[in-house]
Amino acid sequence: MLLHYLDLSWRSFKRTPLVSMLMVLAIAIGIGVTMTSLSVYHMMSADPIPEKSNQLYTVQLQIMDDGNTWWTKDNLPSQLTYQDAVNLQNAPIPEHKIAMMRSGFSVHIDSDIIKPFIGEARLTTPDFFSLFNLSFIYGGSWSSQQEQTAASVVVISEKLNDKLFAGKNSVGKVIYLDDLSYEVVGVIAHWQLTTKYYDLNNGAFNEPEELFLPFSLVKANEVVTWGNTNGWKHENTRTFADKLQSEKVWIQFWALLSDAKQKQAYADYLLAYMQEQQKLGRFKRKVLEYKLRDVNQWMQYNNVVSEDNKILVGLSFMFLAVCLANILGLLLAKFLRRAPEVGVRRALGASKRQVFLQHLVEVAMLGALGGLLGIVIAQVGLLAVRQSYSYYESLATMDITMLLSAPIIAITTCIVAGLYPAWLVCKTNPAIYLKSQ
Amino acid sequence: MLEIKPIFHALCRSKVGAILLLIQIAITTAIVSNAAFIIQDRVAFLNQDTGYPEHDIFKFNVMTFGQDVDINQQIELDETMLRSLPEVIDAAMSSSIPLSGGGSASDFSLKPAPQEGLSVRTAYFFIDDHGINTYGVNLVMGRNFSEDEVLVTNNVDKRPSVTIVSQTLLNELFPKGNGLGQTIYFGETPLKVIGVVEKMMSPWLKDSRPDNLAFIPYINAKSLAQFVVRTKPDQRDAVMKEVENLMLKNYSKRVINNIKGLDELKNQYVAADKLMMRMLIVLITILVLVTALGIFGLTLFNISKRTKQIGTRRALGARKSAIIYYFLVENAMICGVGLILGCIAALLLGQLLMQHFSIAALPPSYIAGTAIMVFVMSLLAVFGPAKRAANISPSIATRTI
Amino acid sequence: MLKMNNISKLYQTEMVQTHALRDFNLHVDEGEFIAVTGPSGSGKTTFLNIAGMLEPFSSGEYLLDGIDVGKLNDNQRADCRNQKIGFIFQGFNLIPDLNLYENIEVPLRYRGIKASERKRRIEQCLEQVGLASRAKHLPQQLSGGQQQRVAIARALAGEPRFLLADEPTGNLDSLMARQVMELLEQINRDGATIIMVTHDPELARRAPRNIQVVDGQLADFTLYQGAQNLKNVAGA
Repeated sequence: MLLHYLDLSWRSFKRTPLVSMLMVLAIAIGIGVTMTSLSVYHMMSADPIPEKSNQLYTVQLQIMDDGNTWWTKDNLPSQLTYQDAVNLQNAPIPEHKIAMMRSGFSVHIDSDIIKPFIGEARLTTPDFFSLFNLSFIYGGSWSSQQEQTAASVVVISEKLNDKLFAGKNSVGKVIYLDDLSYEVVGVIAHWQLTTKYYDLNNGAFNEPEELFLPFSLVKANEVVTWGNTNGWKHENTRTFADKLQSEKVWIQFWALLSDAKQKQAYADYLLAYMQEQQKLGRFKRKVLEYKLRDVNQWMQYNNVVSEDNKILVGLSFMFLAVCLANILGLLLAKFLRRAPEVGVRRALGASKRQVFLQHLVEVAMLGALGGLLGIVIAQVGLLAVRQSYSYYESLATMDITMLLSAPIIAITTCIVAGLYPAWLVCKTNPAIYLKSQ
Repeated sequence: MLEIKPIFHALCRSKVGAILLLIQIAITTAIVSNAAFIIQDRVAFLNQDTGYPEHDIFKFNVMTFGQDVDINQQIELDETMLRSLPEVIDAAMSSSIPLSGGGSASDFSLKPAPQEGLSVRTAYFFIDDHGINTYGVNLVMGRNFSEDEVLVTNNVDKRPSVTIVSQTLLNELFPKGNGLGQTIYFGETPLKVIGVVEKMMSPWLKDSRPDNLAFIPYINAKSLAQFVVRTKPDQRDAVMKEVENLMLKNYSKRVINNIKGLDELKNQYVAADKLMMRMLIVLITILVLVTALGIFGLTLFNISKRTKQIGTRRALGARKSAIIYYFLVENAMICGVGLILGCIAALLLGQLLMQHFSIAALPPSYIAGTAIMVFVMSLLAVFGPAKRAANISPSIATRTI
Repeated sequence: MLKMNNISKLYQTEMVQTHALRDFNLHVDEGEFIAVTGPSGSGKTTFLNIAGMLEPFSSGEYLLDGIDVGKLNDNQRADCRNQKIGFIFQGFNLIPDLNLYENIEVPLRYRGIKASERKRRIEQCLEQVGLASRAKHLPQQLSGGQQQRVAIARALAGEPRFLLADEPTGNLDSLMARQVMELLEQINRDGATIIMVTHDPELARRAPRNIQVVDGQLADFTLYQGAQNLKNVAGA
């Protein structure tokens, strides 16, 4: 029966090609526009590490004395001071945690072919790779021993390994960062990331870094941060040592807390830690505050999906509503004109239900065609977005979810639009149309 | 000739089509007026005057890894080399770059820290006496730094003593306009205001204080430094192409990168806004087209449904103009109601956007403008089909089928 | 009143030319009641369309009330239809979205008559066709005969001197047909000139003058002459 209905639908499409094309076009444009903005939104808000996102927590501490304000909505600084980061890194719990910051070096090797260039770097603790599920092509992370002694070791990205060592196993080789030499201990596989969730300070959609070094080098080599440093009170930080001792925040910190029990234990620990620090003259405030946010909460907190995007998605759906009204009008016109034919069918014994279904199949077919054409339009739209804003390069694409939802939204929309006209047609009295000719 | 009442009655008896059209017009009005307002907002933001001749200025980064030179001395040599180029008007090392989205800011206060006093968030550049000329900004009061006021040092305990600030900053700290010559505090460091620049934007166009900026004559070069160069008009590209080689010829153990025009930096910073603007423009253009198409289609359908009726009217003595008039009035009535609803919807949507996002209140003029535009668009969309309807032969009336 | 001299009407399609009317001559005097008969496809409707200025003709001369119709432009023809001619159609052609009152009002509005005057005339005409109590009803709420009476009321409201009726009883049963016919005769007695196209010989016989259109040309039967022929034609 479905095939028969599809056949009838196709004939009906061919009978009024102009109106049918207009309807398909209206759906396609509506879906195309909606999908363009929805795809960007979807990619921006997508969970970057779904298998772990509810176990990875970033740590925020309220370091400010009473009477100071921060610009975040809950008045909490979004990074840690160096001293807190080091203390928490040395804490007994949890088992896996990382302190880190972003920097950069001029990279060179003893080669005439490869000119020195700038490489972005992340100084972090050894758990970084396992925490964020990175896999190694060659070698592995540095040891905690090397971390403690601030060893001159580096993990490089696959891309960098291709560039410097033509993709060969470079473990044990030496590269120069600024004026110092470092031994390569590992090469990580390409890290495909739409949102740089682990550090949202400097552009949420930038590429991950290409060099990874022990966090202890920050102090040992006085490595300056390429990220944000924020202060809340006036401090004299003339030397690097001053900065390490200061209340300025510039370090990111993540902890792996596998369950609620661990989370509670860590929360208790943080509170105890702050009380202890209070005795040392810090945290001059009545209420001690901390916050543990998991990956998705952290992305929301940092407004990873921009206002503009939310507005665009909202407007796009309103746009789709206009297209829906448009389709409804055209369907009404098309179906009602066919009432005499339906009268004959009804007289020949078609039930109301059959007539109703026949028409719904027809609108679903229009929806499917419109949805497919809509994907094409959305691809053009996304291409234009990528052309216009290269920063959205990896965001302005449709993943499989979006590709599937395009026709689903289109068909659903059409069926919603088609319900009323189909109902109107099936309830018409066949007798009226049979006698009047 | 006025037949509004019967047209209205006729409309009431075929409601659904009219209501659908009405909804389309209402939503279209709501979207277009709000989107037009956001677009206008972005256009103003994108086209604002920054105070700089953006097309003649470029920047580049110098990352020195060699340990065999004094960086401060090397910088001086580099600056001298750059300034001697015939295409170059002036060049300087600048601790941050305007419009780039990256830089330093601090509270500048009337009292030295830690005392509390009127303080204002301000971006600051460490730059020498060539800064004003390199950035091509307009010094409207006071004077430039003298060469001996520029502090070149590796000693972090030495502090500069003067500053040149933007007009807006000075007005905020000294509302009476007597700021020139006064002392303001950068942390605990007192700085005497010796010059005022009419306009110069900070690194962040979207900052809460986008045009508060202070130049401080202090040079303490680090391994990572940024240079700014202003060239004669139309000669920037040539210098940009050569600058890496020239710099490396001066000293080779360093990386020159990020060679970018000031206009390019600004474009990068505002790219998201530009994208939003473009997407909205595309959105409302298509939306208006779709709505026009809807009106067009529905009128065509109405006409084909009423062919006999139109023929009869013609037979009964309606002139062609009366038929066109009929459809225009009918459309105007639907559109009128749609626009009233649309204006209300636009206000509500504007409220909603204002509540949830950082968007200002929608001015009524945008709604009025959109309403007029939608009205004219709907009349245009109806006119074609209506003219076709007028050409229906009156002899249709005597045909039986 | 109405003079057609050598009127021809040519329909041209890509392949063929069809003469719908050929050298058609007719003179109608004021106050006449003429029935036009003829086999289907003979040109009856074309004749009616041309007489009612609904269609242009290809050649010849047509004078209505002394006005040379061929020289009128579209607006003038519309005004002329509006003022001089009343139409009664086979399918009634009432406007379904308008109630009876508004339907009758249509031609009066086109003539620019004042609202109070329109009201007076509409009420009078509805009275005349016996539907005064139904002014607010929609056409589909009436029977065929009632609808046709509304259509006649609409034709009369403009007080035309010239009434064109196209199979006015074609969609009606015989009782209603007779009522409509009586109404037309009454209107004729009141002074209007009527041309009625019909294929019903009985109806045609009631008209004082019969003309027959065959192959786009006129065969004039004055009074009842040739009734036998008519029957044959009607049966054909």
